[in-house]
Amino acid sequence: MSFADHLESLLQILSAGLLLGCLYGLMCAGLGLIFGIMRVINFAQGEFMMLAMYAGLNGVAFLAPGRAWAFPVAMAVALAVALLFYGIGAATHFLLVSRVSGSRVVGSEDGGHTGQLILTLGLSLVLQNGGLMLFGSSPTSIGNAAADNSWTVGPLWGEDVMIFVNQARAWSAILALVAVGLTILMMNRTGVGRRLRAVASNPVAAVYMGVDVERAFRTAFGIGLALTAIAGVCVATFYPFQPYTGFDFVIIMYAGVVLGGMGSVGGAFLGGLVIGLVQQLSTLVLAPQLQNTAVFVVFLAVLLVRPQGLFGRGVERA
Amino acid sequence: MIKTSRRSLLATALAAPAILSWPARAQARTIKIALLTPLSGPLARSGELERTGATLAVEDVNAAGGIKAMGGAKLELTVADAGASVEQVTAAAQRLVADQDLVAGMGAWASSFTLAATEVSERAKLPWVTLSWADSITNRGFRYLIATSPPSSQILLAALQPLLALAGKSAGRMPSTIAMINDDTAVNQSNMVPLRNGGLEKLNLKSVMDENFTPPLSDATPLIQRLRRAKPDLVLLGTTATSDSRLLLQTLTEFGMGQGKVPVLAPSANWGTPEILKNLGANNLEGVIGVAGNWGSKQQKPLIDNLCHRSGEPWLVQDTLSNYGHVLLIADALERAGSADRDKLMEALLATDTKEGPAKLFLGGHLSFEKNGRRANPVAGVFQWKNGVPQTVLPEADAFAELTWPRPA
Amino acid sequence: MQFLAPPRRQLLILAILTVCGIAGVTVLSAYQLLIFSLVGVWAVLGLSWNILGGYGGLISFGHAAFFGGGAYTVAILFHDYGVSPWIGCVLGGLVGSALAVLVGAVTFRLKGHYFSLAMLAYPLALIPVFTWAGWTEVSFPLQRTSPLAYMQFADPHIMPLIVLALLALSILACLRIERTRLGLKLYAIRQNELAAQCAGIATLRTKLVASAISGGMAGLAGALYGVILLVVTPSSVFGMLVSAQALIVSMFGGLGTVWGPLIGAAVLVPLAEALNTSLGARLPGIQGVVFGLAIMAVILWRPQGIFWAVRDHFAGRAAAPQALPDDAAPIAAAPAGTPAAEGGALLQVNGITMHFGGLHALTDVTLEVRRGEILGIIGPNGAGKTTLFNVLNGIIRPTAGSARLEGAEMIGNRPQQVSALGVARTFQTVRAFPRLTLIENVVVGAFGAHAGDREALAAARAVVARVGLSDRGLTRASQLTNRELRLMELARALAANPKLILMDECFAGLSSADVEAMSAQIRRLAAEGMTIAIIEHTMQAMVRLADRFVVLDRGRVLATGLPQQVVRDPEVVSAYLGKRWLDHAGA
Repeated sequence: MSFADHLESLLQILSAGLLLGCLYGLMCAGLGLIFGIMRVINFAQGEFMMLAMYAGLNGVAFLAPGRAWAFPVAMAVALAVALLFYGIGAATHFLLVSRVSGSRVVGSEDGGHTGQLILTLGLSLVLQNGGLMLFGSSPTSIGNAAADNSWTVGPLWGEDVMIFVNQARAWSAILALVAVGLTILMMNRTGVGRRLRAVASNPVAAVYMGVDVERAFRTAFGIGLALTAIAGVCVATFYPFQPYTGFDFVIIMYAGVVLGGMGSVGGAFLGGLVIGLVQQLSTLVLAPQLQNTAVFVVFLAVLLVRPQGLFGRGVERA
Repeated sequence: MIKTSRRSLLATALAAPAILSWPARAQARTIKIALLTPLSGPLARSGELERTGATLAVEDVNAAGGIKAMGGAKLELTVADAGASVEQVTAAAQRLVADQDLVAGMGAWASSFTLAATEVSERAKLPWVTLSWADSITNRGFRYLIATSPPSSQILLAALQPLLALAGKSAGRMPSTIAMINDDTAVNQSNMVPLRNGGLEKLNLKSVMDENFTPPLSDATPLIQRLRRAKPDLVLLGTTATSDSRLLLQTLTEFGMGQGKVPVLAPSANWGTPEILKNLGANNLEGVIGVAGNWGSKQQKPLIDNLCHRSGEPWLVQDTLSNYGHVLLIADALERAGSADRDKLMEALLATDTKEGPAKLFLGGHLSFEKNGRRANPVAGVFQWKNGVPQTVLPEADAFAELTWPRPA
Repeated sequence: MQFLAPPRRQLLILAILTVCGIAGVTVLSAYQLLIFSLVGVWAVLGLSWNILGGYGGLISFGHAAFFGGGAYTVAILFHDYGVSPWIGCVLGGLVGSALAVLVGAVTFRLKGHYFSLAMLAYPLALIPVFTWAGWTEVSFPLQRTSPLAYMQFADPHIMPLIVLALLALSILACLRIERTRLGLKLYAIRQNELAAQCAGIATLRTKLVASAISGGMAGLAGALYGVILLVVTPSSVFGMLVSAQALIVSMFGGLGTVWGPLIGAAVLVPLAEALNTSLGARLPGIQGVVFGLAIMAVILWRPQGIFWAVRDHFAGRAAAPQALPDDAAPIAAAPAGTPAAEGGALLQVNGITMHFGGLHALTDVTLEVRRGEILGIIGPNGAGKTTLFNVLNGIIRPTAGSARLEGAEMIGNRPQQVSALGVARTFQTVRAFPRLTLIENVVVGAFGAHAGDREALAAARAVVARVGLSDRGLTRASQLTNRELRLMELARALAANPKLILMDECFAGLSSADVEAMSAQIRRLAAEGMTIAIIEHTMQAMVRLADRFVVLDRGRVLATGLPQQVVRDPEVVSAYLGKRWLDHAGA
């Protein structure tokens, strides 16, 4: 391969990794809020994302904007779906998760993890299979013109070094950046955010400070699902999905959150971004089959060398 | 005698509604056959298509009077869910073979599932009919196994040879380079074996890219980028999951190589499903050439129209067609065996040698089997997307349309 | 108490279950036998998971790595090299074991969620490797000649019996672990890893031993799984669902007991299969929904799992005995105390400096602890007292300095090595193992000094008698009073036969009567020749107890000397009460 070949491949795959990484980052930010603040492992997160994909699909189908306008409409629908999933998240926490987490399990031997694991694994089974019964098994996606088109950048070098940027992926990445940016602002600038951070760093102290911890957890769960839902609708515009799709993503989400460092939305986002980049860039040197091996090896290596995550501060990791 | 009954069976299959009133004999009993296929889990859609075919065929056989050699005995279809794991397949197969009344089984779509299911059926001496292609299925020396599709080792050559011949005629220039992207499922990997072992040289093709990936892809960019730099004359995309097919073709189009600029050959039935049309749109698919173990034949248009109408599918894919055929094949063998004994049925299945009845459901029109249970002289179905329909283009006798060398629109 | 208790009742249950199992095998149909075998395989995997997750609290999301390692070993050896699965299964177990030790050695440095999620990565990283290597579907070749030599039985009853045998052996192994040193060490690690270390447990080695056993069992289970299903694919043995299955059967049945995984597998595997059979083909998906709802319902109702729910229900009625049976308690001969050469330095601390970033917790601390004395290390809050103990104890490593115990360097050792050198430790807030009985808590401390389990138990009984707690020996630590907990921790320290005991604020939270009792106990120990260093920030009790004081303030040694002198030292008074007080007093 010539130099031009290498250059183009590097740039092209870098851009693909960045675009995908932004969406992974958004998913991770959502999960990071739940895992980082509540220390609850939610295995059903991927299934909630799958439900959001179907919600987005049906929302767009209901508005029937036609292929050309489908993408902007999908983005608007994503925000509506986020609101819906905020509610679903709060309700799920209230009805299910709160029974095996937070104050209910203080003093229990394992901190309630047993209950949380089984509960969310059970929930994920129910949602996957319920999805199959409700939506059927055919892979589907939100049909739109943006996903079919790309912007061409270049020629950058010589005659044919060009980069193609898929429009749907690019707009989705921008939306992801905006959503994460707003969430970070909210965490740092508003009362809700301060309460969430207080609860995250020390739930007991937060109680003494008069924070309603259960409510804060409910909020965190809601926002976490809302962010993941936005990511879900974005992915649905260019990725065919079916009721079992969620599970493929949940592992990536956890890897990103832990890699980034727990307890910060920005860290989780960057963790997801790194996962996206590693996944794509690894193909430059390894067989494409080993993409996910590369992801998990990097994940393990980072965790073992720097247990607090790439972007986490020196947190107690016990 | 046998011949007549086969003919009448065919007639009923073609014009089932007319013969609905055929009286069943009083002493008729039921003969149980089973279909094991994924109905839940990520492969559920394929299982649904298989079940449609088998269900319709049983309806038609029964409507035509059941198994006449056995006093008009009716077929009864037991469907079992193969789920998403080898364990579920094995448990379901074990449950099926435990039923002493069961005379034959069919399934289980994915080759790993079929491998597991037939390990059980072979030990129980239950005749098993499958459409799975992987060579490994018939390479185990099993005696109770029938495989109706061409094996993986033949499927690609079936399409490549005529395609290249055509290219010489209509494109004016023989393609000389090929880029191959395959997922690492057993079936797509064994598809590649003959090409990798000297097959390409025989076709005067040079491989400029040969990459495998593990499904599901998250993004096809790295693969298509490599393909772009390799500048092949012909692209081969071997996938199993619709999401991978979509990402690959989508990205190919984005990179300015789609819609016929580079001919795409796809050796998998998933490239001919209605859902891939829904996900990609007719424009992107136009000209894509698919290869499958079986596809709809023009000669059977009335039957196919009838089945489409009853199943609600816009057209039939291999999963539905072959399973319809499998039920007819078993019914035909039962007629000849005249008994529900598993060994006698198996003997009759292997002895099948017909151009009628079930043979009509398989391309090539002649159905017979080798000792290992693999169909003798099997014919692959080649289809090409034209105006939003995957139309059969090869073999010519069965073609709805002519194979054309894709040209940019 | 469970430690060294003869598992008579459990063995009886096991015998009954085995007989029932064999009887079951003779009457079940081939299909039911397959489900029976699968129950067995998943139960063994659950038991294997339970050794780490249940006993040791090391929740692994990656047991599929060992399970798959076993399955692929047997499959590849048979398919590619014609090696009989009889041999393959054994090798599969070994491979599982080796993988577990390897993975453990790398991953045990992570704690809690991080350990769990890191474990998740191993099998998932292996799946693509196996597909990449071309082992997407490995089937077991059918052997028509001499099938027995290749574990291919025409008779469907044999395989379930083999599984049953493996299951019974696994249960026996787990029962033994539960009742011996390894199990107790794992319980201790699960409940308080730091305390376990300071009590002399080599935690990493213990975890690795447990991993080897657990991985071996998982590998065997995986190998048998391959032999039963005859086809091995990466996702069917390395997949997330395999790890989840191990976790679900154990947690559903009840963590930390041998019966948990058994109950879990026996209930859930047939339930899932029954749902598949009855509903799966008619309404695909419904089986998953019902199964998911079922486990959710159970966990909402009893988050600790079925076994514990049932046991707590029945155990609530019978009052457990509290006191140790005195038959076997040999009267505590105080260790023939090396009536030490009074006055010689036992521990020499030289120039210990500890900086955390910009914070100077300790600066050039030099002191000595003399044989047989009670040294009071006093100082206001934040003076660096606990940090000093943590440094001596090997919990943290100082920036500079040395500490020699009879000439042997302590700095650079891990807590369990320090314990082996002869330094025991108690904590400011008692670090007990709450679910263990008092005597078990103390036995943990005795392991280092006693090679045999019985000797360790005898030694523990002796020290429990010495601190006067024999009547509470069988009470769980979670039910002890504050005073009893302090004494228990002291007993645990003594059980290691230490030369020196470091006691961190041993009077915190005690009433004045309790303080008296505790002081008396400490004096008695000193009289028997024990050397003791006590941290305390209140001086009252210490003035009467200690032979000598070392005063720390803001990380430096402020004064050393006899208690009466030290309390009059103006600098000390100033440090305690503030400069203004001193000025006032002086004026």
